[in-house]
Amino acid sequence: MEFTREIYWNVGHGAETLVPMYLFAFAAIGLLVRGFLQRVKVYKQGLPLNRTDHLGKRIRHMVENVLLQKKVARVRWPGLLHGLFFWGFGLLFIGTTLIVIQADFTDLLFDVKFLKGTFYLLFSIILDVAGLVCIVMLAGLLVRRYFFAPEGLETRNDDAIMHALLLAILFTGFLVEGARIAVTELGTPLSFWSPIGLLVANTISGMGEGGLRALHKVIWWFHLLLVMGFFVLIPLTKFRHIFTTSTNYLFDDLGPKGKLVNIDMENEDVETFGTTQVKQMTWKDIFDADACTLCMRCQDRCPAFNTGKPLSPMKVVNQLGEVAFNNPEASLIDTFGKDVLWACTTCRACQEICPAAIEHVNKIIDCRRAMVLMEGEFPGEEVMTAMEATEVNGNPLGIGYAERADWAAELGIKPLAEDAEVDVLYFVGCYASFDKRNIAVAKSFIKLCQAAGVKVGILGKEEKCCGEPMRKMGNEYLYQSLAVENIEVIKSYGVKKIVTTCPHCFNTLEKDYRDLGLNVEVETYLVFLEKLLASGKLRIDARELSCTYHDSCYLGRHNDIYDAPRALIKAAGGRLVEMEKNRAEAFCCSAGGGRILAEEKIGERINIKRVKMAAETGAATLLSNCPFCLTMFEDGVKGAEVEETLKPRDIAEILAERIV
Amino acid sequence: MKILVCIKQVPDMESKFKVDAGGTWYAKTDLAWRMNEYDEYAVEQAVQLKEQEKDGDLTVLCIGSEKVKETMKKALAMGCDRGAHITDEEVSGKEPYQIAGIIAEYAKDKNFDLIFTGMQSQDRGSAQVGILVAEMLGIPGITTVVRFAFKDGVVDVKRELEGGIKACVSVNAPAVITCQLGLNTPRYPTLPNIMKAKKKELLSTPVQELLKVEARQETAKMYFPEKKGGGLVLEGDAAALADQLIKILKEKTAVLS
Repeated sequence: MEFTREIYWNVGHGAETLVPMYLFAFAAIGLLVRGFLQRVKVYKQGLPLNRTDHLGKRIRHMVENVLLQKKVARVRWPGLLHGLFFWGFGLLFIGTTLIVIQADFTDLLFDVKFLKGTFYLLFSIILDVAGLVCIVMLAGLLVRRYFFAPEGLETRNDDAIMHALLLAILFTGFLVEGARIAVTELGTPLSFWSPIGLLVANTISGMGEGGLRALHKVIWWFHLLLVMGFFVLIPLTKFRHIFTTSTNYLFDDLGPKGKLVNIDMENEDVETFGTTQVKQMTWKDIFDADACTLCMRCQDRCPAFNTGKPLSPMKVVNQLGEVAFNNPEASLIDTFGKDVLWACTTCRACQEICPAAIEHVNKIIDCRRAMVLMEGEFPGEEVMTAMEATEVNGNPLGIGYAERADWAAELGIKPLAEDAEVDVLYFVGCYASFDKRNIAVAKSFIKLCQAAGVKVGILGKEEKCCGEPMRKMGNEYLYQSLAVENIEVIKSYGVKKIVTTCPHCFNTLEKDYRDLGLNVEVETYLVFLEKLLASGKLRIDARELSCTYHDSCYLGRHNDIYDAPRALIKAAGGRLVEMEKNRAEAFCCSAGGGRILAEEKIGERINIKRVKMAAETGAATLLSNCPFCLTMFEDGVKGAEVEETLKPRDIAEILAERIV
Repeated sequence: MKILVCIKQVPDMESKFKVDAGGTWYAKTDLAWRMNEYDEYAVEQAVQLKEQEKDGDLTVLCIGSEKVKETMKKALAMGCDRGAHITDEEVSGKEPYQIAGIIAEYAKDKNFDLIFTGMQSQDRGSAQVGILVAEMLGIPGITTVVRFAFKDGVVDVKRELEGGIKACVSVNAPAVITCQLGLNTPRYPTLPNIMKAKKKELLSTPVQELLKVEARQETAKMYFPEKKGGGLVLEGDAAALADQLIKILKEKTAVLS
């Protein structure tokens, strides 16, 4: 006897089954397509944006994240449940499709049956187990959502509909299978290849063949209707994420990571800048809202949200969706709220974790651009003062520009204007140039270069702020004026390589300045020093140091530089105790996104919270790689009252102390 | 309504100042330039008035080299309608009476309803130009204004006097108003306005055409204040220290008299 089963058993092969079934199916798929076409209209309110270039790369990215659930699985338990459910449901979908292909195409038209023999046995057991896995995973997710919901998890009607419908589909499926097995397979070896179906069959076999056949027929049609209902509901409920979230990977930003769109300042026809309405966002920004599954991972990691500020990246994305669908003329800035928009530190924790490939940060910056460029508004007067200071003196601290190179004089470091024959240009940045605490870092870096025999030059008073804090605050005009001047100076000296000690300068020169014509190699000092160490040019003495390390947002999440700093710390003899939130999960110091210029007036202080995390490790030194972080931590150790036990240091400082 | 606002380009006060070779002014090297702080309040107030009065026309005037046009552009971006640039390479050598003379000569036949300027400049700090202009034009001049209102041709202002006293003054236009810290918060120019400012009228007039008065004073010498002895640290027994302190206060100050 060959293993197989009769498809359409009991319900019939004839037109009386196929015609209504296909009518239902076409109607359901028709409604699904209509539902999405209506949504596409809403997406199209947005500005154009090309997100279909490099299709091969995009498809690979999508496959990795949809089939392998890479980003979903980053949060272990819910990720695992979702991943297994996804695969279970996927297998059931494939199985059902195979049945349709055989019954209504290959068998009907060509007398070809492939669901037989060993393949059928495998088919049978795989689908049976997949169904069970789906039920268990869904039950797990249901228990999590309704009984052990993490704080802030938003549960809507959609969630109840989705859980109920999916469970009903799975249970009715097993009931149909059980009824069929009870009549046709009980007592045969074939039945063991459907263990769950067999269990159901044994439970209901007492009904007798007549009752089982009647039950089978009714539930079969009911199951079919439920599945059709599922199709119809996809565009109307959070089920839509099956399409939108997976497609969002196709439309993902391929990088460079976090690079903002350059506003064309030369175009005199443009009269509005930034975003106040949905139609000034791109279609992708609106689509993002539809891809969001409200999983809360962004909000859980947002430093602003977690210190009592009104910003939730998830809320921003969803409010944007609500406006796009229900009230497209509304002001986005009023909808989100100004305090919300100013609270973002652009730390990228939201985007890095988002399992739906949503881009949160650029939406916030676009709104800030409108506030600054169109209204001249800032989060506080101190920010406006810093902007004006930068316009006048090229640094937000307001110190006379002519003093920019004063720190370097005693080290024999000359501006390129005096000696342009150098190995590398050190783009010092404002804090390392003017702030006493950070001048110590600049000096340490120079000592390390000198010990390794590297000739370093600086731009001195010709250097201006890279413009990063201004740009992130929305002041694109000031950023571009600064950038253009810096690029012109750098180019005029024929610089071959630039090294920075500030990750904000690094990110700006390495990514943003490319749009304005800089094409010189840019390296962060940590990678630069690691190479010097590896090549033997720089020799340091490993001396024990109890420390923890803070990944700055702009070297970490924005540039994925996690290993070079750790290698340097190890080489220096550092006994590194990691904070719980490290690497891509690191908690911001509070100063990114131009917040270094602003006072933190709402909620708890972010820097104190981060310092407390560092203090919990018991380490004596808090190492970091960023002048903003160092500044915030020097302040934070006082706020957290740990200044006696925890010393904030830059990696360059501990290395310079260990030069052999 | 015709409004004039007079501004000056000054070095940023954070700059490293050096006395120039002539010994009568500061050297111009390594300085960052900006609009005189008090003139920013004047521009802001003038723009607010222009926005309040529907038919307002606001001219910004500045005396100096080509470089001052950068500062004038900021005033235009803040909302001034046109710029009157008085070309003068030697502006730092002119004393307040001459500067006021130039402005009055420019303004005399133009029927400005109100003239705003800063109460003083951050570099010379004479606080003379505003009132001299008013005097030369024969119209009222109100200095150190910290609150301003205008209605039906009447100016209502609050002036800051010494010792925390304020004076309320009402006067009919035309008048000259000099602006003090606290009057307003100057706006940050929006990008569309910065773009528009590039296309606004900015006419230059040689200073010779407007300078009709003679200098009445001259700067003899400019120098840094002499470094006098720093703080005095008293040490020893508390009772003896108290006597010592009283003696010093009696001899060197008037606090105990």
